[in-house]
Amino acid sequence: MAITEVKHLAQALNKEYNVPNPDLAKCGQYLSQLKIALIELQYLTHEDKHNNIEELTLARDVLEIGAQWSVRTQDIPSFERYMAQLQTYYNDHSELPASPLKYNLIGLNLLCLLSQNRISDFHTALEMIEPEEFHNNPAIQHPIKLEQSLMEGSYNRVWSSRSEVPAKEYLFFIDILMDTIRNEIASCSEKAYTSLPLKDAGTLLFFTNMEDILNFAKERNWKVNPVEQKAYFHSDADEKINIPADQIIQQTMFYARDMDRIV
Amino acid sequence: MSETPRRSSRLNKNQEESSKPKPKLVDNDIEMEEAPEHLHSYATRTYPKLSLPSAAFSPLLDIKQHFVLFTKSAKTHEARFAIRALRSVASLRKRLNAHVLARVVAGAFGKDEDVRKRLVGYLGPEAATSITAEDEASLTKHDTPEVDVYLHLLVMIYLLDQGQLEKGIELSNLTISIVQELNRRSLDQLAAKVYFYYARFYEVAGRLAEIRPTLLSAQRTATLRRDDDTQSTLINLLLRNYFHYNLYDQADKLVSKTTFPENATNNQLARYMYYLGRIKAIQLEYTESHQCVLQAVRKAPQNNVTAGFQQEANKLLIIVQLLLGEIPERSLFRQPVLRKALLPYFQITQAVRVGDLSKFQETLAAHSATFHADKNYTLILRLRHNVIKTGIRMISLSYSRISLRDVCLKLHLDSEEDAEYIVAKAIRDGVIDATIDHEKGFMRSKENVDIYSTNEPQHAFHQRIGFCMKLHNDSVKAMRFPLKTVNIDAAEVEAARDQERTLVQEIAEADEDMDEDHDEL
Repeated sequence: MAITEVKHLAQALNKEYNVPNPDLAKCGQYLSQLKIALIELQYLTHEDKHNNIEELTLARDVLEIGAQWSVRTQDIPSFERYMAQLQTYYNDHSELPASPLKYNLIGLNLLCLLSQNRISDFHTALEMIEPEEFHNNPAIQHPIKLEQSLMEGSYNRVWSSRSEVPAKEYLFFIDILMDTIRNEIASCSEKAYTSLPLKDAGTLLFFTNMEDILNFAKERNWKVNPVEQKAYFHSDADEKINIPADQIIQQTMFYARDMDRIV
Repeated sequence: MSETPRRSSRLNKNQEESSKPKPKLVDNDIEMEEAPEHLHSYATRTYPKLSLPSAAFSPLLDIKQHFVLFTKSAKTHEARFAIRALRSVASLRKRLNAHVLARVVAGAFGKDEDVRKRLVGYLGPEAATSITAEDEASLTKHDTPEVDVYLHLLVMIYLLDQGQLEKGIELSNLTISIVQELNRRSLDQLAAKVYFYYARFYEVAGRLAEIRPTLLSAQRTATLRRDDDTQSTLINLLLRNYFHYNLYDQADKLVSKTTFPENATNNQLARYMYYLGRIKAIQLEYTESHQCVLQAVRKAPQNNVTAGFQQEANKLLIIVQLLLGEIPERSLFRQPVLRKALLPYFQITQAVRVGDLSKFQETLAAHSATFHADKNYTLILRLRHNVIKTGIRMISLSYSRISLRDVCLKLHLDSEEDAEYIVAKAIRDGVIDATIDHEKGFMRSKENVDIYSTNEPQHAFHQRIGFCMKLHNDSVKAMRFPLKTVNIDAAEVEAARDQERTLVQEIAEADEDMDEDHDEL
């Protein structure tokens, strides 16, 4: 496919995607056609440094739309693929004009890693962001603050961050994150409380109706006392600690053998 | 028997290298390969037959002396001669100038040779005039290419010191292609140096990204040829290259796909450990990171020349220790080389130690530029969480019962609900041993358990004994006996060696036995 056709297709995609309520299926069709075309053209990058800035920008824009489209269609693997491809354009082609979407997408990527609990990848990705953006860009600050609150345990702040998202694509990942958080809170509560009134458990876990709470309690094997309206947690205090005889015998034998060798 | 001489030569090499100073690593100083003068005189003193007494004073004679060493190294296949020559390059570097270099080049190549024209061309027009008739007359041809490459290297160092980057880049590209074509094992040590300066030129010129493919392919070749020196240098250069652009992901992939050569010099190992520690720290594997950085700090020679590396490594060490929940020793911050550089880190440490969140934020804001420059900002940001943890631990130790409202006030948290979540998480993570009463809104600390009623002392005991045993076994394995023993009875040596061998074998067998025992149990 020639470059003019790619340009044509990209324009069509752009037009289709940027209306208020885009037809996502149609965009998907355009995207898959474009992807094939771009692969044939090696993503418009050339080894010999004579890259055409206009062509590179074109390829980058297509990939950016692709990444956003993946979030809208809730396809995480596809989003990660687009992000991996975009890295080249963001890092290795400094001659390109900066994209307005760049930090939004990077922020999304951070959030995506966070929602899957890939904390070490999250921090690796964080290192690549320039210091000035790190401090001033709301799209980047949002996931950073989120991660901090998560690490501290201020789940309340995570919950309220939902209303402060920099772009509507963020919500998709935040919703995934909410499930993770709920499980975190539950496991903390199991350790921290001996018992908890069901109503308060509901507030802690951000549930609004009783049925959800009961279902959740069942999932986590909590003993619910219907009369008192309380949930009791399993405590491990009365477990017996055995003397690790095998281990001690083994270790003593090891000492004896080695001492023997030295003497 | 054939095994022993090789082993002993390697041992010899290691001894020599351990006294070699560590070049600065992170500092942008151009003086990367400095060696104190006394090391050079040490070499001269120990090998009086090889170094003429006057050699120490004239760079010209020094270089000629090195030619002899390189030729000898190539002929005898003994790397240590080349290493010795390269070690004194650092002291030679200060005395290098265009005139000396031009005269040396003239002394090694005939008037019409291409190499001579090229090298003198790089040195500049004035240099050519300083060639005397005496130099022409004393022309001695060297049939080993090592001398050729060595001269290229010297001219490269000279250009770097003069800041002639364009010329230097051109020459280093040329030298790299010469080295790659030649494929001689006796060139390995020289090649490592050539690659080092090649990367240095590009770094100073700010074009590091361009040389990545060259370095990668050279690294592959070096691995295939088991060229330890070049391999270790190249891995470190690549890591430095990735770090320069914050590409920790790629650096991590490189580390996981390569093995760092065991016989690498201490200096390269220290650098590698530092890089590895940094990658691990970013990936939140603090325990491993701590081990690596600690090793880097210990392996690096402790002198003023390596101050840059020591500072950087110690900064990282402090942060990793804090992240692990340990407090670095006060004496570390008092060392004269480190005191000034570590000041911001000292203040952070103090804030973490007392668990004072507002002081932490103040320090962070005050030194934010320094932390960014050190590329430690994001790591320090993670410490906020540790400050809170310490705060909670302090509260839990001092109060048997405290309301969540007070916890919130003491830790400067946003709300009581936040405090509840945070305390709950601290309990789950094992930071404190307590329970929360939700209805009455307080936290009750549990009684301290007697640690001697648990299995903990047993574990600590075992760990320590295991360490001592390992030390003993390792020292037995590492023992070597001199090859040529003129004075000692040969039979005695043989007996001792037999004894050693059986001992090593015993240890190996015992290890296997242990494994079997383990299976049976």
